[in-house]
Amino acid sequence: MSYTQQERLLRALSKQNVDRPPVICTGGMMNAAIVDVMRRSGFTLPAAHTDSGLMAGLAAAVREATGFENFGVPFCMTTEAELLGSDVDLGTLECEPKIAREKFPTVSAVEFRDVRRLIRDGRAAVIVSAARRLAAAHPGVPVIGSLTGPVSTAASVVDPLTFYKELRRAPDAAHRFLAHVTALLKEFCTALLTDGGATAIAVGDPSATGEILGPAMFEQFAARYLNELAAHVHALGAPFILHICGDLKRVKHLAAAIHCDALSTDAMINLPALKREFPHLTTMGNVSTFALEWGPVPKLATIARNLVRDGVDIISPACGLSTATCLANIRAVTDAVKEGAA
Amino acid sequence: MSNSINNEETQLHAALADDVVAMDETNSVGHANEIVARQFDAYTAIDQGLVEGMNRVGKLFEQEEYFIPELLLSSDAMYAALDVLKPHIRRADGDQKPKVVFGVVEGDTHDIGKNLVKIMADSSGYEVIDLGRDVPPQKFVDEAVAVGASCIAISTLMTTTMDAMAEVVTILQKLKLREKFKVIVGGGPISPAFAEKIGADGYAPSAPTAVKLLNKLLAPPASA
Repeated sequence: MSYTQQERLLRALSKQNVDRPPVICTGGMMNAAIVDVMRRSGFTLPAAHTDSGLMAGLAAAVREATGFENFGVPFCMTTEAELLGSDVDLGTLECEPKIAREKFPTVSAVEFRDVRRLIRDGRAAVIVSAARRLAAAHPGVPVIGSLTGPVSTAASVVDPLTFYKELRRAPDAAHRFLAHVTALLKEFCTALLTDGGATAIAVGDPSATGEILGPAMFEQFAARYLNELAAHVHALGAPFILHICGDLKRVKHLAAAIHCDALSTDAMINLPALKREFPHLTTMGNVSTFALEWGPVPKLATIARNLVRDGVDIISPACGLSTATCLANIRAVTDAVKEGAA
Repeated sequence: MSNSINNEETQLHAALADDVVAMDETNSVGHANEIVARQFDAYTAIDQGLVEGMNRVGKLFEQEEYFIPELLLSSDAMYAALDVLKPHIRRADGDQKPKVVFGVVEGDTHDIGKNLVKIMADSSGYEVIDLGRDVPPQKFVDEAVAVGASCIAISTLMTTTMDAMAEVVTILQKLKLREKFKVIVGGGPISPAFAEKIGADGYAPSAPTAVKLLNKLLAPPASA
């Protein structure tokens, strides 16, 4: 039985049998727009951040060159904060975009705006349009819309140190702001899924780890809004992939309880052990990006084979890839996963 | 008489430490003002009260009882009281502190980890020179030379900017300055193996361990 890449991913995400795990790279914080691919294809960043044709072209070139079985857009995690007013430096070919200046000093200074209007413009519209192009041109290939999670977006719109303190000092204002951010993310998901024809939504929330927040705040401020977002995506009939950074430690049970269709983790997490502890989980990951950058090829093939052997449901990088990563190392992973089906 | 004054002074030190642990800026400022009003030694109050409090906070952080929001609020309480006490320090001992140049490497603007290390180093008696975030490799070297630093501490959260850390070491080697400075690295994607690979002197996975690393690499500062 052979599946299209979209069928295989959707089956894996809904706990149906597959011939082998899909091997994907979601885009967003975990995109594979490496310098090597950009130079070969001519679709380059930072131009592709603001042009839907270039963005779709780059996403297609990444899939073609790397062997990942999906398209992932966008190639950064600053779009959401930019929509909410922060200044963004779009970076260079080698260096991803970053927040140049957060818009507000405190959560109480945040101006609440019409989120439906916000996502019609700027780079949100570019990303939705890129997704639409990809979905239309390549039926059978999953298009993943990658978003930055509520806490990470919030900490890119309000000065992050103040934001973290206000989670304790001004929890009501922090909740109002996070609800606003989540409302924007929901609209973005709607646009990506309905207008953009995306197959799935992936969310990374690196500023909301258990190591940063601790269990109580992780539950109150991270899990709560991630669940709201997941419910919204599910109501639209699409799967929700969640990436949690860092060592889960004391929030392991809380992360495992978030309503996602796949939980992706950092390389330090033993995914088979996580699955034994929480059998309901669909696990995703977690090829070390350190190994991806430094190789060598045989080691990466072994890492990938071991993940498949150990029953990880979806194979994927464990973190953001260095743009200096060489293509051969990535191919070693994707090829090793695919050979398993033979 | 002198015993009871000593007791009161000691009690105020304990109160200051408790205020820092309790993240209570109002009380820490109140107790600092009391120290000043009663003409108790400001330097001892900083050392026995505020530094002691931050040490306890550091331990709670290592034990995963405190997390980043708590650490930041405790440091606010510490700094607010420090502002009250600093002008009253009688001993001039600032120039004996080892200097550490801190920064987040070019390409990255995530500075929370760097700020935590800075706070813990500051409260452990190091003089911290903060270059901020998105710092070019050359600037680390230039500033370290300019201020006569003992150590360069480089942080990044992004895999994409790890290579710029190696460049700092390369520049030091080219300028034949490598032996003049200790170089320590940290941040989400960094590992001890990476630190070794780029020729850094050390790696620490958290803010309290970064201070322990500084203590190990440099002569411990007078007040630590």
